[in-house]
Amino acid sequence: MSYYFAIIGTQDNPLFEYEFGTSKQGGDGQPRFAEQARHLNQFVLHSSLDIVEEVQWTNGQLYLKVIDKFFTNYISCFMTAGNVKFLLLHQPTATAGGGGGGAAAASTRNSTSVGANPTSPQTEEAIKNFFNEVYENYVKAIMSPFYKVNMEIRSPVFRQRVTAAGRKYL
Amino acid sequence: MQPPDDARLTQPQPVQPLPSMAAPAMRLPAKTRQSLPADSHPLAAAAPQQQQEPQPPSSTSSSPTPSSPATSLPLRDRRSTPNAALFRSTLTPPHSRSASPAGSLPRSPARTSTSSTNMSASVMMAGSVFAGTGGVKQSLLDTDAADTPGDPLNLLLRAFVPHVGIHASADVDALVADKGFRGGLWEVLRPFGERVMGKVTVRDSNGGAKTWEDFAVRFVRFGVGVEEPNAGSGGDGEAGEVGRVEGVVERHLRFAEEAYGGGGAGLGSPVMTPVREGVDTDATSPYYALYLRRLLSGVPLACHESFAHPVACVMAISSRNPAPIEALQKLYRETSQGERGLPPWVDGDFLRYYVLVHDEENGDITKSMALFDQMKRNFGLHCHLLRLRSSQSAETDDDSIPLPRSDWMTAAEELADIEESDTREDFEDPTRYIFESDATAIRTFVREMVTQSLVPTMERNISVWNDQVASRRRGISGRFMSLSKRWAFGSSSRSSTAGGSSSSSNYDALGFYRADSPEAIMRRLADFAFMLRDWKLAMSTYDLLRGDFQNDKAWKYHASANEMAALALLIMPQNMSSKTRIETINQMLEQAFYSYHIRCNSLYGAVRCTVLALELLRLRGGSGIDEAVRWGIRVLESKLMGTIGDALLKERMAICYASKRGAGSQAWGSRRRKSALWSVLSAEAWIAQAKHVQAQKCLHDARRMYALLPGECGVQNFAVASDFLAHLNDQLKEGLGLDVAQGEEHDGSGHDVAEVDEESETLGTKRSRRTSLIGPAGSGAGLETAPLNDTKPARGREAEGAASVDDGFG
Repeated sequence: MSYYFAIIGTQDNPLFEYEFGTSKQGGDGQPRFAEQARHLNQFVLHSSLDIVEEVQWTNGQLYLKVIDKFFTNYISCFMTAGNVKFLLLHQPTATAGGGGGGAAAASTRNSTSVGANPTSPQTEEAIKNFFNEVYENYVKAIMSPFYKVNMEIRSPVFRQRVTAAGRKYL
Repeated sequence: MQPPDDARLTQPQPVQPLPSMAAPAMRLPAKTRQSLPADSHPLAAAAPQQQQEPQPPSSTSSSPTPSSPATSLPLRDRRSTPNAALFRSTLTPPHSRSASPAGSLPRSPARTSTSSTNMSASVMMAGSVFAGTGGVKQSLLDTDAADTPGDPLNLLLRAFVPHVGIHASADVDALVADKGFRGGLWEVLRPFGERVMGKVTVRDSNGGAKTWEDFAVRFVRFGVGVEEPNAGSGGDGEAGEVGRVEGVVERHLRFAEEAYGGGGAGLGSPVMTPVREGVDTDATSPYYALYLRRLLSGVPLACHESFAHPVACVMAISSRNPAPIEALQKLYRETSQGERGLPPWVDGDFLRYYVLVHDEENGDITKSMALFDQMKRNFGLHCHLLRLRSSQSAETDDDSIPLPRSDWMTAAEELADIEESDTREDFEDPTRYIFESDATAIRTFVREMVTQSLVPTMERNISVWNDQVASRRRGISGRFMSLSKRWAFGSSSRSSTAGGSSSSSNYDALGFYRADSPEAIMRRLADFAFMLRDWKLAMSTYDLLRGDFQNDKAWKYHASANEMAALALLIMPQNMSSKTRIETINQMLEQAFYSYHIRCNSLYGAVRCTVLALELLRLRGGSGIDEAVRWGIRVLESKLMGTIGDALLKERMAICYASKRGAGSQAWGSRRRKSALWSVLSAEAWIAQAKHVQAQKCLHDARRMYALLPGECGVQNFAVASDFLAHLNDQLKEGLGLDVAQGEEHDGSGHDVAEVDEESETLGTKRSRRTSLIGPAGSGAGLETAPLNDTKPARGREAEGAASVDDGFG
């Protein structure tokens, strides 16, 4: 499982980006995205904003769960105040064949573990916890008097906290 | 525009009075289906349009740059070569392309004219959110798409048409060969079947009459293209079919690429840029249309669907034949038995239509008339006297018109043509000419056959089969019967039924249903209804069959029945709630796809099924669009198509998403970012195949979409993504043979380079950014693919087309 987390501002501009891998199941926390397809993460994430704009009106929650799927990439979304969105792209461990074979193998291996099945309740719960923790830190980060709307978040402390949250939950 | 064409356009030849004296005699007194427009002079105006199409590009694009490398020897200007005619179908912009003799048709009276209003936002908003569970509610035939040549729906309607076999005696072929057609009578008739002149009235199962302007039949050589039921479970023939389709499209693309390489001046002539706003969701890319058309024209004569089974067979002899009646009897015998006979899964009881071809120049008309009278006495009313001149018509003749190449030639045929043109240096223009009088005679013949024999026969068959076979199954006792049949052998397993009486299953060990089994008859009933556009009957019959085939484990039949049921359901007017509907359709498609792809390993079936479903779902709008893309992704994931097909499909998905409309000023619910993403993906795919012209078009679409976003900034704030875009751009430039340094001196291209740099800049000056995003659409899009020629003449032609709108090829 590899993750790409981004905070998207009101102008479709990324405020914060972070790639990481799973730390569960003996993962080393390193992302395993294919090097030549790195750009695709950003494209996919950006394109799923279309869906976010649609789904955000149907749901009273801030956490919108998995809203979009692009081949093997799943997108979870968390709305925050001020039309800033947290988007998490999660990609199950790269299976060469992709598609059905990989999913079947993964489900037999560890059906209960986080990340094996991107739409399972466990995964949803884990991502929710991750989002909540990041949200708290995000609110604190933007309390900084030097921070203005739609400004990139450069705080190293914030990045550390996101890393910690990722390690803790995903 | 050349003067001769103008002359012909403005002063159309007066229609020839029906030359055949036999015509009145053959008209059925009771049935007057004819509503032939009195002043129709088909082809007279439509044909010259086609003739002139290859010429404008060479005159417009190569003239402004005499010093360009284009004129150097190795890259000869291919557009002036005769084989340009082979690629005509993709050279012209879709709207002016009348390679289909159908041209732009007037709307059928059977269609209501409420289409555009129904697409309004209120319908799209009908659902809870913009997700729009709403969509188009009426029958898809009432939308504009059905009328647009090149649109997938229109292609679908013209693909599933009655097939008419042609079986001619040797003397007919000799006569036709004198006229310059080596392929026999079939080659001459084929283009005329693609649009039956005038209106054709069809009665549906409830007796309601509908009139269609664009009725068509497909002339095929009798007994050609038979596919064995168990041919290695879809082995060579089918897998090859998709491959051949790819091959054809690849050749077309390469031709366009080379034409631009030869022209070289693409960027220099902004005149060529078509003015378009946003992604044009209505126009189908000519290559995609070609792909679909070739895919659909390859419907094999297979056992699991009866679309390619002959509905009628034309048996032709000529006046040169010394023993005509015997010759006809011989032809008859050949079609019913012997090695030309059809396999047991094809109904041998199709309509026989007897044609006497009279040689206008060497024959004696009184003798022919006497013979014709004799034929009518012997064979009944399904006869026609076709009077043709036997000499070859040349382009310079006064009354010659070019015979268009068939729109529906199979991929293999077209590939063979193109290869021949490549290997032979002395390849001559394949366009053939026929006399105006011959064309009129053939049109009359086709119309008479269709309206007086073919359609009535089909209607009668439908009603008979419906009464005798299908309605018995529909009733409560019928359901009970099928249940009892299923459980007649108690709880014993299916193996016992296989060994048991043959009445339990008509799907015998051979792997097909015989033509006289109820399942096969019902399948024919459903297919006939589909071809006559009686969607409701077709749908209900397919639905019955689905269950039967599943019980018999006749998987290919099962797949096909599911496929057609889903298509009919999609075309029909919507009345149930769209959620259940989409679910039902999805289920059918799912089964069809699984049966085709996994159970039967039939690549062709799987591709056809999903691509057609995708197109119809797209036209349904609303949430159908998301479904459509989901199916597209399924096709990509399953790797059904080759590289060309994949790239075309990606391009198509961009259009799918682009055609989803949003609500309000923010266009909530639209899919612009998604659309742009797919455009980028397709550009990447095209660049990987060195098809730079297409790639540029996709990249422009993507840019335009990003510019439409509220933030107007697209992905430029995403570092890696915008780097990638810039990289694509560079590759594109390189591929197009443009020296960037040289371009900087040049006005128009300098603009482009600046634009690439801006791509990676962060958002600062929004206004200027906007102009730079839109600017290149004007200056850089010179390499746009579709219109090779000026849009101005195209417009003009369109106007002419509108003026002579009823001149379709009859």
